[in-house]
Amino acid sequence: MHIESGARSDVGRVRKNNEDNFRAEPSLELFVLSDGMGGQASGEVASALAVETVVDHCRVALESDGAEYYGEPTPGLSDRTNRLASAIRVANSKIFESGLADPARKGMGATIVTCWITDRRLSLAHVGDSRAYLLRSGSFEQLTADHSLVADLVRSGILTPQQAEVSEQQSILTRALGTQPSVEVDADEQMLLAGDVVLLCSDGLSRTVTNPEIASTLETHPDPQKAADRLIELANENGGEDNVTAIVVRMTPEPTGIFAGLRRWWRGKS
Amino acid sequence: MARLVLKFEGAVLKEVPLGNRPVSLGRAPDNDIQIDNLAVSTYHARVYAEAGRLVVEDLSSLNGTFVNGLRVERAMLNDGDAIEIGKHHIVVDQEHDAAVPLDSRRKISAPKINETMVLDTKERRAMFEQAAALGERSQISPTRVRVPTLVVLGGRTDRKEYQLIDTLTVIGKSEMASVKLRGWFAPNVAAQIHKQADGYYLGLGDRVPRINGDPIVGPTRLKDGDEISVGRVRLTFLYRN
Repeated sequence: MHIESGARSDVGRVRKNNEDNFRAEPSLELFVLSDGMGGQASGEVASALAVETVVDHCRVALESDGAEYYGEPTPGLSDRTNRLASAIRVANSKIFESGLADPARKGMGATIVTCWITDRRLSLAHVGDSRAYLLRSGSFEQLTADHSLVADLVRSGILTPQQAEVSEQQSILTRALGTQPSVEVDADEQMLLAGDVVLLCSDGLSRTVTNPEIASTLETHPDPQKAADRLIELANENGGEDNVTAIVVRMTPEPTGIFAGLRRWWRGKS
Repeated sequence: MARLVLKFEGAVLKEVPLGNRPVSLGRAPDNDIQIDNLAVSTYHARVYAEAGRLVVEDLSSLNGTFVNGLRVERAMLNDGDAIEIGKHHIVVDQEHDAAVPLDSRRKISAPKINETMVLDTKERRAMFEQAAALGERSQISPTRVRVPTLVVLGGRTDRKEYQLIDTLTVIGKSEMASVKLRGWFAPNVAAQIHKQADGYYLGLGDRVPRINGDPIVGPTRLKDGDEISVGRVRLTFLYRN
């Protein structure tokens, strides 16, 4: 299977700063997105620190086999998925310590959502309300559960999803990076199939563009970069009230046939 | 809104909507669902929502409460599950939830996007409990450990039985597969089983697996005793005590 990806981030039409950050690392098959918060531009600092730390930790782990996990690995998950969760825990500590060290950065924090693909296995880990979605043969499913007050209330049946969408408490997170010395990370994994599209996005997208609109945009734009661009446009057309970021990752089948086979063989040799 | 449907020999006797309050079942007339039968205890069982899930709890009844044929003290309920009390069936119907709005209209009343904030644990608990004050909440303590297991009925696999301990179980020829298929034409990923909070879900692979003969469309929750078939391999999904 072959991976194609595209990504874009935009400040939107209302805010002055873009506190979202992302890193797409197709060579590592690693994708990271973070939405920062905090006064005096410290939100940008937090989200930048988050994405850099996660990418670095994963890169080091790939290069040296015995790299230590930060925090307890979860039984039942693969090493890769546990590594991703470990990377997020490192990012939490870094942001937290940076907030302690500099009064201007006190209270800064960030969400994070990450995916790492290893030979068709998708590892996912997240904290906060940035989301991962999967589009698979026409069905569009959210893979992450938001760590927000309204999401908790929906899960316990107190609010309906419709009420949650218009709630004024949507911005209240129950977990974030950098606000506590340690953080609980949600991690999960599954196998990807040819044609699958994984979307990572900040709440600037999921709150302004409906799921059917997102799904049809992904379906009608086979080029992941064009799909990401179009999603950003849609968020801005709908008001652009928040920073918005989208990473689109598409799994395409390896071409079959004798020439494709020879090409693969040649690539494998060099 | 979800509801409970009381049935006797196939006939619907009563429908009760499920709200925040527990629904009581028993022989006494002050139960929400009264079952006038001597095999039913005065206050036999109750059904309530806990952490977003429906739970049935047996109130130490003499003849027991059953869910899909298994006697339970407490059990989580899913759409379509049948609670059996004596010869009566109470079916869980969550179809009425229709939770996901599927209209592609733009979101009305664009939500105010405030500065994001994080609740510390204490604040969060207080706000949550305030909001949850209507509903009753308590902890479920599992009464027994049940190990989800795949038993091979046919086809070429590396073992005859597999315990599902991981979050992800891959069935196929892939190196990542824990249920390893043999044979030239076996697919790398024939199917996958994913552990979620409420059970194990069979998902698509490079093939479309079947449950009890029916091809699945998307992730489908496995029930005790379901037969999975994919290609030439047939497996039974069981909860072993």
